[in-house]
Amino acid sequence: MFLQDLLCLKKEIQDFQVVEKYEEMGFPLDKKEQIEETIKEVTAQLDPVLYRRFLRIAEKYDRPLAPVKNGVCYGCFVSAPTGSKLITQAKDVIEFCNHCGRILYKIN
Amino acid sequence: MELKELFDHSNVSLDLKAGSKDEVLLELIDLLKLETKAKEMLFKMLKKRENLGSTGIGKSFAIPHCRSLVVDKLNVGFGRHKQGLDFNSIDGKPAHFFFLIVAPPIEISNYYLPVLGKVAQFCKTQDIGSKLQKLERVEEFLELLNKA
Repeated sequence: MFLQDLLCLKKEIQDFQVVEKYEEMGFPLDKKEQIEETIKEVTAQLDPVLYRRFLRIAEKYDRPLAPVKNGVCYGCFVSAPTGSKLITQAKDVIEFCNHCGRILYKIN
Repeated sequence: MELKELFDHSNVSLDLKAGSKDEVLLELIDLLKLETKAKEMLFKMLKKRENLGSTGIGKSFAIPHCRSLVVDKLNVGFGRHKQGLDFNSIDGKPAHFFFLIVAPPIEISNYYLPVLGKVAQFCKTQDIGSKLQKLERVEEFLELLNKA
């Protein structure tokens, strides 16, 4: 999740219009090149198999992670199988949407 | 969306006790009532955001903000640190007033940047710093937002 947040931040600060808005509001992004370094640090700590899968999903979708709400993957809006551990409240389990393949997470 | 609609007693603290930048971020995150894991992740994300450029906009204000998957809607908080603390603000002076703004990466309502803009504008209101410093009750803060 942290990696996706960082990638989202990277995308945001690469958007000239967004950066301009930030600067107008008084938030200088004078060290924005540091985001690359942070992303490298984070990816180095990830399980390589999971990271490769993350990259594969990222090739297909803008957001490789999607929340599950009421048993529905909010990436493709298809119901997760009823046996899904996310639905059964299990914690620290990495699950993938059976339909779109996105990595699923639950929001409380 | 008006700022007054976003704040209530649960996400305002007029007595932050933090002794450092990290501690103030943690105290602000506490206002959002998230799970421990979500809090940790949000803290890391806010720190990374701070590394790209301080959100201490000067004149005693700081507006730490980021987008994160740990929230499913726009979340805000306000904290006042009476003595003030170093937040690497652009004017080099201590920050006393902190607005925390966190939004999910994608929000249908798209309030994040407009709310951030409104808060930044509120912080530029004349004499707002002295008014905020004099507040004794959360209701008074909410009234100030009402007038903004």
